[in-house]
Amino acid sequence: MPHRQGPRPGARWLAGAAPAAPAAAWYITFFVLPLAIILVYSFGYKPPSGIAQTSIALDGLSLDNYRATATPLFAELFLMTLRTAVVGTLLCLLVAFPVAYALATRIPPRWRGVALAAIIVPFWTSFLLRTFAWRILLAANGPLSDALQSLGFMAGPLRVLDTMGAVQLGVVYNYLPLMIFPIFVALEDMDPALREASMDLGAGHVRTFLHVTLPLAMPGVSAGLAIVFVPLAGEYVTPAILGGVRGAMAGNLIASQFLEAQNWALGAAQAVVLVALILLVVGVAWSAGVALGVLSRRLWHIDADAAA
Amino acid sequence: MTGRLLWSWLFVVLVFLYVPIGVVIVASFNAGRFLLNWDGFGLAAYAAALSNEAIRSALWLSVRVALATALLSVVIGGLAGLALAKATGRWTRPFMGVVLLILVAPEIMVAVAYLIFFVRLDLNWGFARLVIGHSIFGSAVVALLVRARVGALNPSLEDAAADLGAPPLRVFRDVTLPLTAPAVVAGGLLAFTFSLDDVVIASFVSTSGSTTLPAYIFSALRTGLRTELAAIATLALGATLFILAVTVGLLRRADGGHAAIVRTMAGGDHG
Repeated sequence: MPHRQGPRPGARWLAGAAPAAPAAAWYITFFVLPLAIILVYSFGYKPPSGIAQTSIALDGLSLDNYRATATPLFAELFLMTLRTAVVGTLLCLLVAFPVAYALATRIPPRWRGVALAAIIVPFWTSFLLRTFAWRILLAANGPLSDALQSLGFMAGPLRVLDTMGAVQLGVVYNYLPLMIFPIFVALEDMDPALREASMDLGAGHVRTFLHVTLPLAMPGVSAGLAIVFVPLAGEYVTPAILGGVRGAMAGNLIASQFLEAQNWALGAAQAVVLVALILLVVGVAWSAGVALGVLSRRLWHIDADAAA
Repeated sequence: MTGRLLWSWLFVVLVFLYVPIGVVIVASFNAGRFLLNWDGFGLAAYAAALSNEAIRSALWLSVRVALATALLSVVIGGLAGLALAKATGRWTRPFMGVVLLILVAPEIMVAVAYLIFFVRLDLNWGFARLVIGHSIFGSAVVALLVRARVGALNPSLEDAAADLGAPPLRVFRDVTLPLTAPAVVAGGLLAFTFSLDDVVIASFVSTSGSTTLPAYIFSALRTGLRTELAAIATLALGATLFILAVTVGLLRRADGGHAAIVRTMAGGDHG
């Protein structure tokens, strides 16, 4: 018996939607509403000290906070943040893809659960402590520095700690599983016969990869890129632990407005700017992806839908 | 040739993933007080950690919040996931949009939003603030996993039960629910772990007197880098692994494979 398509009449529609009602109420009250309030706050200003209960005054709404954020001081920080996020996401992809590929194609199905668990287990350790462990590893007088110097790769001690470099490493470390899993799922779904057929027909490893494997893995890759880039751009803890002053990201700036400067209006505006920038990058990447898809279809007759 | 390259890469990545864990575990056996000065091998850190009152109450709070979060997330998210998979109204698209938004939103923005909101509402009960904050994300995870799982179920199973005379509630209880169990369990575990490990939201919405363990560790890391923290982390890892092993063992009997759970957690489930 085929399942019905399309909206169902009256009471049945309600019965179908009813179980989602608590969630809907929960999300509207405790997610949508708070975010809307942030948007409103971004147009406010910080009241003169000592007066307000909350650190926000809303009687004179303006774009001042946005203007303040556009100044070179803050703008540079936001650009650095985006750069770290984009580079970090791409590095994650480069590291994760072979891992996912190995998991999906080289490890026998019986052992895949164990292999996945082996990758998750490090992430059952406290996020804070394992990020802090990098402070110990990357210290100027730490094991990595000593090893690099004795091997001749470096003339002096390692000075990457408390810079954006350490943050870059830290975020790749922390976001790796988020990239591995969706790509693994997409690759595992792919019928190995497709690859074998391609090789049987004479295509080498590289061509098979580019024309068969990669297009079919694209949904997983896109998912991975999205779920890594967006939270990464808003990172707060990793730069706080590894970055010091020079490695601060937008998240740290926003946090300081709320926790130290008590300027909620400016903090809210900066949060909105961060989200807008994230959406911008995602939009650009998405358009590039679409363009690439159209191009590959035209030039090389690659059509993943036809193959699947 | 490709095979060997892939295996070497896998090995390198696993080393990369586990070295910091090794550092934490080794550091927990540092007999000295401070993480950066090795003072001999010993269990002093564990003794100090377990007898520290601040740590004990923070841990207790974290566990309670995590349990409440997991429970709430499973109920709210499970129902939502079920509705999303089965219903065909136009509301499903915007709803899914909100769920995905919740999952990818940068934590700092969400944490700040909660802080403002709770202050506005004058809600000062720390426990409630934390559970609310965590369950938003937790329930979104559960909803996503349950929706995927229920959506992938073979519809003829439920139809067959109905054809054999079972009323809808019975079909749900005896067919749908057991088959959905891995997704619910996986979602609950993820929600629990997220809550237990969450730093950002906890740092922002905790009131004085209700500090979670990660929030405590975060502020402690800023001031004095003590070995007790490494000891707590190692203990927590051990406990988590233990719980995981037990859960997997239990579910293995019920569903026939830990792979089903891990796979569901990985986001894809195809029977």
